Amino acid sequence: MARVGVFVCFCGANIADFIDVPAVVEEAKKVKEVKVSVLYKYMCSDPGQQMIRDAIIQNRLTSVVVAACSPRMHEKTFRKALSDAGMNPYLLEVANIREHSSWVHQKDKKAATEKANDLIRMAIAKSIANEQLHEISVPVTKRALVIGGGIAGIQAALDIADARIPVTLVEKSPSIGGRMAQLDETFPTLDCSQCILTPKMVDVASHPYIELIPYAEVIELDGYVGNYKAKIKKKASYVNFDTCTGCGACTQKCPVKVPNEFNMNIDKRKAIYTPFPQAVPNKPVIDAEHCTMLLKGKCGICAKVCEKGSIDYKMVDEVIEREIGAVVVATGYDLWDPKPYEEYGVGRYKDIITSLEFERMVSASGPTNGVPLRPSDGKVPKNVVFIKCIGSRDEAKGIEYCSKICCMYTAKHAILLHHKVHDSHAYIFYMDIRAAGKGYEEFVKRAQVETAATYLRGRVSKIYKKGDKLMVRGEDAQIGQVVEVEADLVVLATAVIAPHENPALARLLGISYDKYGYLSEAHPKLRPVETAKAGIFLAGCTQAPKDIPDTVAQASACAAKVCGLFAGDTLKKDPMISTISNEFCSGCLNCVKVCPYQAIVTEEIPLGHGSKELRTVAKINEGVCQGCGSCVAICRSMAISLAGFTDPQIINEIVAI
Amino acid sequence: MDHSKQIQEIASRLFAENKIDYFVGYRQNSFDDTQVPFLITDPAEIPKLVFTERSVFNLSNYLKPDHTKRKRVGLVVKGCDSRALNLMLTESQVKRENVYIIGICCEGVLNEKGEKAQNCVECVMPDPVVYDEILGTASGKREYIVNADIKELAQKALTERADYFENIFENCIRCNACRHSCPLCYCAKCCIDQETSTLYHGANTSSAGMHALMTWSLHLAGRCVDCRNCEKACPSHLPLHLLHKQNEMVIYENFQQHLAGMEKDDRGAFYKYSLSDPDDFIL
Repeated sequence: MARVGVFVCFCGANIADFIDVPAVVEEAKKVKEVKVSVLYKYMCSDPGQQMIRDAIIQNRLTSVVVAACSPRMHEKTFRKALSDAGMNPYLLEVANIREHSSWVHQKDKKAATEKANDLIRMAIAKSIANEQLHEISVPVTKRALVIGGGIAGIQAALDIADARIPVTLVEKSPSIGGRMAQLDETFPTLDCSQCILTPKMVDVASHPYIELIPYAEVIELDGYVGNYKAKIKKKASYVNFDTCTGCGACTQKCPVKVPNEFNMNIDKRKAIYTPFPQAVPNKPVIDAEHCTMLLKGKCGICAKVCEKGSIDYKMVDEVIEREIGAVVVATGYDLWDPKPYEEYGVGRYKDIITSLEFERMVSASGPTNGVPLRPSDGKVPKNVVFIKCIGSRDEAKGIEYCSKICCMYTAKHAILLHHKVHDSHAYIFYMDIRAAGKGYEEFVKRAQVETAATYLRGRVSKIYKKGDKLMVRGEDAQIGQVVEVEADLVVLATAVIAPHENPALARLLGISYDKYGYLSEAHPKLRPVETAKAGIFLAGCTQAPKDIPDTVAQASACAAKVCGLFAGDTLKKDPMISTISNEFCSGCLNCVKVCPYQAIVTEEIPLGHGSKELRTVAKINEGVCQGCGSCVAICRSMAISLAGFTDPQIINEIVAI
Repeated sequence: MDHSKQIQEIASRLFAENKIDYFVGYRQNSFDDTQVPFLITDPAEIPKLVFTERSVFNLSNYLKPDHTKRKRVGLVVKGCDSRALNLMLTESQVKRENVYIIGICCEGVLNEKGEKAQNCVECVMPDPVVYDEILGTASGKREYIVNADIKELAQKALTERADYFENIFENCIRCNACRHSCPLCYCAKCCIDQETSTLYHGANTSSAGMHALMTWSLHLAGRCVDCRNCEKACPSHLPLHLLHKQNEMVIYENFQQHLAGMEKDDRGAFYKYSLSDPDDFIL
C-alpha cells in the first residue's frame, strides 16, 4: 500500500495570496494513500526540507509530493532532501502550483485553488506509480572545443588551457582576433585594442594545451556531454602552414587586388593575403574566389616567389575528427546593414559610412593611416554627424532590442575624432544615452565636456546633399525644434546582430536560438553561460550584444564551467531515459530516424526462443539518451518507455482528473 | 491480364537454381472462380500457380515471419502490393536479398461482383515500384483522385462524423483479421493488446472497437497503400477504407502530396522532417 506525503508551499505570498493553501492541504488528505499533508511558508528552506525528511521517516512514506514552484527551480533541492532521508530521490513528484496556477490565475482565487487541487491529485496518482531510479555514470573525454577565435573564444581557450585541459580552437577566418582586432581604441579607458589583444593571440598560438585550427568550420557534432565527436572541415588555404615562414613575398607580388573585408572594403588586399599584420597564425591563404591561378590556371606568381615551395594549388578541403567533452560557442556578431534607411541616402551618398568603417579609418594601422577621410573626395572632415540607434530599437526597419554598445562607442568616436582632427566638431543624434557600466558615465561626460561634442536628443528624419556637404535634418526634442546640421561626414551607429550562420550552427549543435538568431542560454539569470544541452556553453555576442568586459567575463565563466565538468573522471547522468523492450520491438527503426541525439543503435537478437534466425531490434545507448521522449511517441508497438514518464504513470495522472 | 504461364516458368527456374525456399502466388479456388494465396515449397505444385484479374490479395503479407520465417521467398506483387513491400523493406522487416520479386504491371482486379474494384479505379501506381523481374507493360503513375464518399465524409461536422464511425464500427467483433491481413501490421505485440494499454481494455463495447480501429488506422496513416486486404479479410464487412482514405487525403494535402511506399527509404509522412515543410495546419 502506497504511503504518500504531500507538502504544500506558500512561497511567501507568491502562492498563498492567490490559492487557499489550507483548503488545498485538507483536500489532499481526502486521497486514501495520503498519510501526511502539511503546509509551510518556504518548503525549499532548511526547516521546510527538515519537515519533509522527518515526515518520511516518521510516516514510512513510499513517495513524496511537493506542491510548490516549477520543478526546474527546486526539483533537485527536494530530491536531495529525499535521499538525505534514505529514500530514492526519484520517488518525488513536484506539483507546480506557482507557475501553473497562482501566477497565471491571480484574478480568480477559487479557480486557482481548484486547479491546484487537480495538479496535486495528479501528482499523488503519478507518484504512486513512480519507480526507484538510479543515476548513470558516463566517462568523460577531457578536451574542450571552442568555436570562434574572437576575444571570447581566445579568453575561454586560454582559461581552459591554463587549467591543463586540452583545447581545440576552431576559427573560420584565416586569423584569430575577431572583431576586436578591427577596433582602434576601446572604451572607457581608450587603451589600444590591438595592444591588449595581440599578446593573448600569441599566447593562444604558443600554448602547449591549445590546438589552433584556423580557416576551418565545425560541420558535425555527435554524441553527448563528456563524449562529443566533432567533425571539423579545414578549408583549403593552398598554403602549407607547416613550411610557410610568413615572409610575405607572395602577398607583395600577387597581382590580383580584392576589396579588403578586414578594412570594411575601404582599401584593397591581394588574392593571397594575411588579413592584418598581427594575424595569428601569420600565414597567408589564397582566396579561391579571386585567384586567377585557381580560376583560370594562369599566373602562379606566388608559387614562383615562395622560397619554401609552400604554395599548393591542388590543396583540397580536409575533414578531421576530434573527440571532445564540452563545447564553447563564441561566434561573435555581425552588423546590421543600414540599406533600409533610404531617407538618409544610404548607398547614394558616399560620405555616409558605418561606425566600423569609421573605426578602421581612425585606426593607426587602418587604410587611411589613422586619419578619417571623406570617401567622396578624400578630404579631412570638419563637421561629423554621428547617428545612433541605426537598426536597433527600431521595430519598423530593424530590430526591437537595444544593441548595448553603440552609446559607448559613439562617445569614443567623438573623442577619437577630436584626437585625430583637432579643429573638428562632433554632433551626436541620440534617443537615450545608456552608459551603465564601470567608468562609462564618466566617459560619456568626457566626450561631452572635454571634446565638446554636441549631443542632440532626437531622430534624424532626412539627409540631403547641398554642394559637397550633407545636410542632416533632425529634431532637437529638448528645445522642440527642427535642426539642420551641415556635415562633411555622417557616421551611422549600426546595430549589433547575430551572425547569420547562427541558426544553422544551432541546429548542427542541437541547441536553441531566439527570434533574432542569438543562441539561447539555459536560464537568463541563473544559468547565463549554459545552453539547454549539457556540455555546450556560450560566450560573447553570440548570446546577446555585449561589450568587451562582459564578453571576457562570460568567456572565463564558460572556462570555469568546463573545468567543473571535467573535474571528475565520470559524469553523473539523469536516469530518466528511454528503455526498449525487445519483446515488443518490431524493428521498424523509426525511432532511430527520429532520435535527435543519435542515441538509438540496432542489435540482432534470435527470432524466437532458441531460433537461429535473427531479427533486428532497436537499443538505447544510455549515455547518449537525453530522455526527450520522441522515440516513445513514434513507437507504434509501444515498445519504448521513458523512465519517470511511463504509461502507467501518465494514465494514473489522467485518471486522477 | 493472364500471367500464369510466365509466373510458373519463373517459379520453376527459381526452384531449379535454388534461389528460393518458398514461392508465394495464387491458385484457383476449388469451388468458384475466385483465387486464394498459395504458398509452396515443393516445385511439384508449380502448375497450380495462376495470375489473372481475380488475383486480388496483397501477397507481401506473407513475408511476415509467421509465414515464411525470414527465409528466401519468390513473390508475385502488383503495383499496390509492391508499395507495401517497399515500406516493409524500408522498415527493416524484409531483407532485400531474401526476396525475389516478380512485379506485375496491373490492369486492375475485380471485386466480388465482377466489376473493376474501387481501389483499382482510384489507383495511383499500377506498376510495381520494386521488382527483380517485371511482367506486362508499364503504364506509369496516375493522377491522385479522391472518391466522392470520402470527400462527403470530410465535410461532416466532427460530432456527426464521430457518430457515423461509432455506428458503422459497432459491428467490429475484434477478431483482428484486419491486422493479420495487413502487410504493414507486423508488430511483435500490437499496442492494442498490451497489458499497459488500458484504453482498449474492458468489455467489447462498440466504442472500444472504434477506438481500436482508429488507433490502428493512425498507425497506418501515411503508410497505407490502399490494397484493401483488410476489407477483404473482415468478416463483418466493415468499410475500413473510409478511415485509411481519409488519412491518405489529409496527408496528401498537407504533407507535400505524399503517397505511401512510392520510393525506397521513404518511411511515410510522419517520419520525416524538412525545414521547408508547410506547417500551416499546426495550431
